[in-house]
Amino acid sequence: MTEKGQQHIFEQWLSQHKALVFKVVRAYAFTAMDQDDLFQEISIQVWRSVTAFRQESSVTTWLYRIALNTAIKWVRKERKHQQDGNLEEVEHVLQENKMPVDERLVWLYEEISRLDEIDRSVTLLMLDNFSYKEMADILGITESNVGVKINRIKKHLISKSKKYS
Amino acid sequence: MEFDDMKKIWDTQNNEPLYAVNETALHHRILSKKRKGFHITNISEWLSVLVYGGTACFIFGVNFYKQSGNVWMYVLAAWMLGSALYTLVSRIRRIRGERQFDRTMNGDLAHAISVAAYQVRLSFLMRWNILPMGLLTVLSVLDNGKSVWVAVGVLVFFVISYYAGGWEHNIYKNRKHELEVLQNKLESC
Repeated sequence: MTEKGQQHIFEQWLSQHKALVFKVVRAYAFTAMDQDDLFQEISIQVWRSVTAFRQESSVTTWLYRIALNTAIKWVRKERKHQQDGNLEEVEHVLQENKMPVDERLVWLYEEISRLDEIDRSVTLLMLDNFSYKEMADILGITESNVGVKINRIKKHLISKSKKYS
Repeated sequence: MEFDDMKKIWDTQNNEPLYAVNETALHHRILSKKRKGFHITNISEWLSVLVYGGTACFIFGVNFYKQSGNVWMYVLAAWMLGSALYTLVSRIRRIRGERQFDRTMNGDLAHAISVAAYQVRLSFLMRWNILPMGLLTVLSVLDNGKSVWVAVGVLVFFVISYYAGGWEHNIYKNRKHELEVLQNKLESC
């Protein structure tokens, strides 16, 4: 594949699946600085992955796999190397859209952020209607393991959501 | 709340992304990367010119003063002087080429990428330059009648330098790659 072709596909993927990347960024990074960093890291990995895409899965599945794996690795790396410096002074590339935010969505993200890294991935995929098989492929765990996790996460979220009932 | 309700809330993000790209911040970040790239390139250019030029003069001077008949030393000095001149000419051409970039965000980014590409090429050439220099040094050591072990020691030193050069080259390559990704991202947003 030529570099131009790679660039074209990358641009297309990023513009069509921006929301997917933002969801992963928001579920795994909680300060504006970290969100910038993770967004940049995912973009780099997506760019690198273009030539490896064999159309054996859908683009969405492929991108989720890249984004989630990158986010999980990023979280582990960040835990080891906590950054110092004055974070408040840094200007952020990603900024929240000024639109009315559904309080329940904010709550949902908060609950997701309290889960461990793998459960967070399962939750994002579950909310985006991925099948058990697809989730197992993306995360490298068995379908039965996915099933167990989904049941547990659903119960947990429903019990936590009582204040909205 | 039922899980299906959560899904409905979740799906609202698909219509309106939660984030937008802050172009001013992005431009500032590009400028900072550009300055960093300039600084590194500037230092490595001057370092190459001074080290190659200085060492060439030193080798030539010592050889001339001692009236040594070691031809390899003279060849090595000439090769190093050539490397210093090449770096100097490349630097002048790079600085002249900078006029073509405008001061928009895309212009600054293209400029930063061009400097990064220049740095990648320079580090690549300097890495391969270690091989002829190593060879000439070993030949001059042997010509001076030193033991084979001294020549082996010199060779090992140059092999290590060659690998260290590869490591440095990869850093520059990754930096250039990051800028290209940023450029593509900018075009797709």
